[in-house]
Amino acid sequence: MKVDFEMLKERDRIAGLYRLLSIYNGLVVFLMAGFMSITQEKIIQSMSARSFLETLPIVPLPAGKGFSLSMGSFFVLVLLGHLYRRDTLSDMMRYLVFLAEITACMLLMRSLNLAYDGVVLLVVADLMHRYQGKNQSWLLVGAMFGLYCIANYNLAIFQGHVAPFDAYTSYYKSSVQAILIAVKNGFVSLNIILFVSYLVLLVQSKHQEKERIASLNTQLGEANERLRIYAIEAERMAETRERNRLAREIHDTLGHALTGIAAGLDACLVLVDAAPEAAKKQMAKIRETARRGIVDVRRSVEKLRPDDLEKLPLRHAIARMVAEFAESSNMKIRVIALGWPDNLREDEEEVIYRVVQEGITNANQHGKATEATVTIGTEPGRNYIIIADNGHGCEDVEPGFGLRHMQERLDLLHGRLRYWSDNGFTLEATIPAGTRREENE
Amino acid sequence: MRGDVKRQLLLLAVALLLLLAGMLAYQQQKTVELRVGVFAGSNWDVPDGDSYAVVEAAIKRFEAKHPGVKVTYVSGIKKEDYSEWLAEKLLAGEEPDVFVVPGTDFNMYAAMGALQDLSDFGNQDKQFSWDVYYPAALDYGRYDGRAYGLPVTSVPTLMFVNKTLLAREGIAIPGNDWTWQDFLEICRRVTKDTDGDGVLDQFGFYDYDWKLAVVTNGVELFREDGRASYFASSRMEEAVQFLLQLHNAQRGREVTAKDFDMGRVAFRPFTFAEYRTYKPYPWRIKKYSSFEWDCIKLPAGPSGDNVSNLQTMLMGMSAKSGHRELAWLLLKEICYAPESQQLMLTKTQGLPSRRDVVEADTSQALFAANAPGCEEMNLRVVSEVMERAVMQPRFKGYDEAMLRANNELQQVITGIVPFNNSLNKLQKEINAYLQQ
Repeated sequence: MKVDFEMLKERDRIAGLYRLLSIYNGLVVFLMAGFMSITQEKIIQSMSARSFLETLPIVPLPAGKGFSLSMGSFFVLVLLGHLYRRDTLSDMMRYLVFLAEITACMLLMRSLNLAYDGVVLLVVADLMHRYQGKNQSWLLVGAMFGLYCIANYNLAIFQGHVAPFDAYTSYYKSSVQAILIAVKNGFVSLNIILFVSYLVLLVQSKHQEKERIASLNTQLGEANERLRIYAIEAERMAETRERNRLAREIHDTLGHALTGIAAGLDACLVLVDAAPEAAKKQMAKIRETARRGIVDVRRSVEKLRPDDLEKLPLRHAIARMVAEFAESSNMKIRVIALGWPDNLREDEEEVIYRVVQEGITNANQHGKATEATVTIGTEPGRNYIIIADNGHGCEDVEPGFGLRHMQERLDLLHGRLRYWSDNGFTLEATIPAGTRREENE
Repeated sequence: MRGDVKRQLLLLAVALLLLLAGMLAYQQQKTVELRVGVFAGSNWDVPDGDSYAVVEAAIKRFEAKHPGVKVTYVSGIKKEDYSEWLAEKLLAGEEPDVFVVPGTDFNMYAAMGALQDLSDFGNQDKQFSWDVYYPAALDYGRYDGRAYGLPVTSVPTLMFVNKTLLAREGIAIPGNDWTWQDFLEICRRVTKDTDGDGVLDQFGFYDYDWKLAVVTNGVELFREDGRASYFASSRMEEAVQFLLQLHNAQRGREVTAKDFDMGRVAFRPFTFAEYRTYKPYPWRIKKYSSFEWDCIKLPAGPSGDNVSNLQTMLMGMSAKSGHRELAWLLLKEICYAPESQQLMLTKTQGLPSRRDVVEADTSQALFAANAPGCEEMNLRVVSEVMERAVMQPRFKGYDEAMLRANNELQQVITGIVPFNNSLNKLQKEINAYLQQ
């Protein structure tokens, strides 16, 4: 936050200096154009137009026109400069704007009779503002060179086609002339000073920005390294937790059974000679315990094995689940895929998987069906699953735990569940599609 | 942000369009007004009573041909103020569409681009031909090979002859093919002290200078591009020698205008305008009433001919005129239309710049009727002079170079500086000036 604040302050300072440069140039343009216009008017009034014209290579613009042309082209220049600095412009537009800016600059210089070329620096300031880094340095050098040439070309081409500033000053007394020339040179010098300070500030700020970016980069690298260490640690912790779970599971099932068996066998050892009948009974109990232990172990192993859905894509998981179910229940189940929804979220996949699982279980258990068809498809805006069986169905469906559970799962996804009996029982579930993209937007 | 930029651009575009539409509407609303810049009085520094007659007649005809166009001019600007007036108008951007260009300002305004180049207008206009003008008159309005002004009226320089004085001395009036030698001889013969008081009181010439000698001896003073001069040429030497001899014939006495007015001088170069003004009534009574006089061609030098220089009054078009096509038509109406050109004969002291108008039979009759006392002047002879008139060079430093040369040559001719090597020296000097 502190860095940002400093950067903003810096940027404000640069913008302020640029504004100062613009205003200063505007003032100079105003004064120069005004001076020449007023002098021209005075020359007309003092009836020395003929001798004034004799010193000029061209007929200058009328006083009012010349003044408005100067001020007008200056405002256009400033407006274009403002546009050029906008970040929202496309590259093509930016070049066009810059070209227009140069044209306005040339027009302005011409309308000021080339007496003041400081406005070129204003254009250079704009150009510098856009300077991004090393890869653009050649471009920048090229553009600067071009501007220099334009300014000189301007001078060379138009030199013989403008009324020189000296012709205007020579209207006044020589003591006044000296002052006028000194003031004009002062204007130029002050403009250069302003421009150089602007440039220094700009370069400084660019440099600082670069440094800030470098420091941010290091920080980012450090954070990355830390994250990697955390990840390794987290993995190790998960491993430990899993190990603990296994240990607990073994302890709870196998340990429990083996403890029982060991204790039972101790009792048998005591009883086997004194009461062989009781020992036999006891051993039967032990066998029962061992069997239960085996079941428990199996269940535990089953619990530890990952679900199909976790390790397989949804499509294969459903196929495998349906196949396994068909085999164990002797049902004939067909899966028709009219289109596989893609881009599904994990929870959506889970819901689809469970709906199919629950649906075929219901068909088997409640409908006593021998055949079932699972249809999965997509339509614009939604995905649907239809499970139809040939069981006896029922007139009034009393939603049991299974259906209600399904309904709840679907509700979470703003889905819908419908079911009815005709030739058997049919169940239809729809899930709105495309939610993922919208959420991302 | 993006929307913001677009809106700004749109606003700018709309503002520009509105401005353009407004300007167009304003332009259409206005009836076309053409302005003409002319001065009062004659271009030839002679009294002139009806100075706007030609322009007014042309405007009348033009307005009749182009309804909806109004032509105006400011009257009352004196000739001596006109140059400054025009400069002020140019500087204020309010110059007339069509205006008289003073001869001294022509080069400057043509070089500045204040004058519209008329070459293309003339070349493309099928009802216009450059060839009807006297070449020297047309050339007067050329700069750098392009035409920037059309001749309105021209005057050649002739030689005034004091018939009474010559008759008294028993000398026949020279013919139009006379030479420098004739001129010199007559001057030597008439220069004398008539009343015997020991002071010369009768002279050969007044106001004849080296520039006229240059013209009549076929001297080419400058290279075409104006970067070199030929003051040291043999023809120039002849001219200067001739003037030295003429000067010696006066025996060191400076002849004045008063001597001339008193009828004590035999010859004086006279412009046609002066002839036209002072020959008829009423001026003939006021001036030169004590003697009979007439005008003949200038004497020819050994390498030259009985030619003359030609002064021409030009009109040009403003390069910033908003109605150039119309302005061209108006310019043509004033400078080219035969009606206008003929009016020059009757209403002004100058001559038409169109050869065909000067040579027309009707012109001679009109001229005779409007200038009683000038009957003897044959316009065909004048036309001959104008046709072969020498073209004045047109380049930037011409006036200044001639001024410098005049200062030097005056000193040579009056004998202050020896002749020996002076022309070579002068040529070097002038070349140095032209090449800087």
